[in-house]
Amino acid sequence: MQTATAHAPAHELTAPEPHTPQKNGLRDYVDNIRGTTKSFWHGMSVTLSYMFRKPITAQYPDRMPVGRLADTLPARYRGFLEVDRDICTVCKACERACPIDCISIGEIKDPKTRKLVGMDRFDIDIGKCMFCGLCVEPCPTGAIQHTREFESASASFTNLTFRFVPEGTVSPVYKVPKGSTAFMRAELGSITRAIVKNWDAPPPPFPAKDTKKPTHAATTKPSGAAGALGRELAVRALEAKAKSDIPKLQKTFEDAMAGTDCGDCGYADCFGYSDALAKGLDFDPGKCAPGGAESKGNLEVMLVALKTGKAPEAPVEAVEAAPTPVEAAPTADGADALQKELVAKTVAAKDNPDALKAVFEEAMAGTDCGDCGYADCDGYSTGIAKSGDNDPSKCAPGGSETTANLRAMLVSLGRKPTT
Amino acid sequence: MQHALDTFISNQFHVDAATWAWTQVIYAIAIGLAAFALVNFGAILAGIFSWAERRIAARMQSRIGPNRVGPGGFLQWFADAVKLMLKEDLIPTQSDSILYRMAPYFVMVGFSCTFVVLPFSHAIAATTMDLGLFYIIAITALIVVGVLLSGWASNSKWSLFGAMRAAAQIVSYEIPGGMALMVPLLISGTLSMQEMIRMQGGIQPEAGGNFLTAGGWPWNWNIFHDPAAFVCFFIYFTAALAEGNRAPFDLAEAESEIVAGYNTEYSGFRFSVFFLVEWGNVWVMSAIACTAFLGGWQVPGISLAALDNATGLSSIGLELLSLSFFVVKTLSLCFVVIWLRWTLPRIRVDSMMSLCWKYLVPAAFASIIFETVWVLAFARSPSFQLFFGVIMSIAAGAVPLWLFAKRTFDNIRDTGDRVDLTNW
Ligand code: SF4
Ligand code: SF4
Ligand code: SF4
Repeated sequence: MQTATAHAPAHELTAPEPHTPQKNGLRDYVDNIRGTTKSFWHGMSVTLSYMFRKPITAQYPDRMPVGRLADTLPARYRGFLEVDRDICTVCKACERACPIDCISIGEIKDPKTRKLVGMDRFDIDIGKCMFCGLCVEPCPTGAIQHTREFESASASFTNLTFRFVPEGTVSPVYKVPKGSTAFMRAELGSITRAIVKNWDAPPPPFPAKDTKKPTHAATTKPSGAAGALGRELAVRALEAKAKSDIPKLQKTFEDAMAGTDCGDCGYADCFGYSDALAKGLDFDPGKCAPGGAESKGNLEVMLVALKTGKAPEAPVEAVEAAPTPVEAAPTADGADALQKELVAKTVAAKDNPDALKAVFEEAMAGTDCGDCGYADCDGYSTGIAKSGDNDPSKCAPGGSETTANLRAMLVSLGRKPTT
Repeated sequence: MQHALDTFISNQFHVDAATWAWTQVIYAIAIGLAAFALVNFGAILAGIFSWAERRIAARMQSRIGPNRVGPGGFLQWFADAVKLMLKEDLIPTQSDSILYRMAPYFVMVGFSCTFVVLPFSHAIAATTMDLGLFYIIAITALIVVGVLLSGWASNSKWSLFGAMRAAAQIVSYEIPGGMALMVPLLISGTLSMQEMIRMQGGIQPEAGGNFLTAGGWPWNWNIFHDPAAFVCFFIYFTAALAEGNRAPFDLAEAESEIVAGYNTEYSGFRFSVFFLVEWGNVWVMSAIACTAFLGGWQVPGISLAALDNATGLSSIGLELLSLSFFVVKTLSLCFVVIWLRWTLPRIRVDSMMSLCWKYLVPAAFASIIFETVWVLAFARSPSFQLFFGVIMSIAAGAVPLWLFAKRTFDNIRDTGDRVDLTNW
């Protein structure tokens, strides 16, 4: 108040302060008493009247007057995500839209034509998801949607990842029929509910590193090509066994484990598992999920060494260094071949716009997702072939490969790609 | 109580209590037991209030409140007590640790000593001290000392602010509070709590009274004795709220301004002592108001002679009856205290002070003068007093209560709701 008056223009300095209590002396005094009494009267009657009304609290979860709370939520509630893979075009628009990368889609391409044929993985880490809905918006078919499910207490951390494509299966790409605007979808919520039902089932093991491309030396050729660590551990294990020193043997086994004491192996902690291995009560080297393939390999090397009584041979360097992409070489070749083929086709169809358009469309991912800015692949290829669109980089689902192919094709036509 | 003990000694040990060597030991044991019972009564009562307050507050806010521990959540207070006692007792390193440890005991003693004179029924009261009312006003001042100590010893600015506010507030409100109690004192002419209740018995049958004039009828209560007493009841109630740091005068613990005020740094058991006292105080202030203004344990239609002379089973029955009248009245006042807390926002420090010094203090002094004149004029005419009491209890009691109830149910009806006491 003080500072405000100090800076106020002169004519305002004389203005009476608002709420001067003693303005009218006795009248104000009596008014204050009356006002207080009246507001008590009114206020107390309001609060008391609430005493006699029904509380609006819903006693979730166990004393709900209605059935499941999830079913009473508004239709546009943003709960868990659900993907109907029957209408998923594998365009990965949702994956790209997610600001925190909690969607991961494993696409599968035809090695020869490089066309999308399906996906072997569609995981949403619901533990990370912030339910922003950004993934739902770009989906061309409405395959990914929010459900009204929200109860996400799970006994196992790993169960928080929704796997819409079951492990080891491949879901085919959905081809959008030309011109369709509505897509038949499984009942919203049914798929996610089925997943959530299994939440209390024992958790799947931690996804081991490199499970997709089992090129790790230890897992493929345990005894012959043990890593340096595995070999050292095996030697120590043999020494301990020679002295019948079970505690030391146990220690050695424990060294090969991840050491998180997570209990994922089925024992209480790393000690339990290693003790069982040392005492010969357990012969399975693959129980340490956090340790992954490496731990499994080392344990296997040690067990084999103990069984045969022989220390493993020196590591074969080449194998250790061999996680060279098994697929990479053929892929590069295939890609090159595909590009050459496409360029050849382009040159052949040079004077026939319709044929040219068809060739361009062949080079695209073919999901009709519309990410390129056109309605579908048909639009984009027409744009390039007939309307002079020189930007080869618009097909996001096709990725850099499609961009490269389109660029080569444009160059072969004598046009200048913009990117 | 001494008389009862003497009788007990002569019956059990066949000795003369006045000369027997062990008499003092028996007295000490009896005193210890009584003190134990009263302190525990205070503690358990405070616990139960904490539950009741939460349930009532919840209903007033369209919530349900704690209802899971025990039937209706009743054992919630017990669970909370166990939790509080198991918590770590933290003593800040920078605090004055001796004073810091002592402060809760001052508060606790100031609170539990009031039970020495608080009556419960016609015969149940620890003592019938002649200076009862004066004693209560004096002993509760210990609470201020405890609060000040806790604020000072915590060595935290929030605690100190809280303590200073509490001290300023309690000291200020002692004046209108004490003055307002002068009015029932003038009416009954005694400082003893039990005597004060006995004086609210109306015209006894011996003096020509009948069923409708004797006992705890509203027209015999001090509050409906005359307009000054009526005003003083509200003055006392407001002042007691402020002295007990109850909302809307909980400035000393204004959590939106100074964390938790003087008990910011306390935890565990020491913290629970402060809380216990805050809730226990609600009972104490309500019991004093009930004693001084609302006829205490007087049962309507039962004369004092009937209560005094009853024997055997009927004496137990009458005792329980008078106990329940006292408890029901006190609990209704406690409900009002809780109800006020959830109705009114916390007031500003300056408004709190101006309320005290500009409104309550002058009103209390005016009431005393008015009362003195009134007592001088009408004390000799019990029948006029009875007549006026009936008029007052209708005009200031029944009619406003009826209007208020109507207003309350109109509130419910006007919002299209209905009375519904389900969903507990
Ligand atoms: S809702 Fe948001 S955070 Fe969750 S998956 Fe979709 S885009 Fe990612
Ligand atoms: S169609 Fe595309 S956006 Fe929709 S769920 Fe499948 S990959 Fe995601
Ligand atoms: S060309 Fe366009 S519509 Fe077709 S897959 Fe690529 S981005 Fe989607």
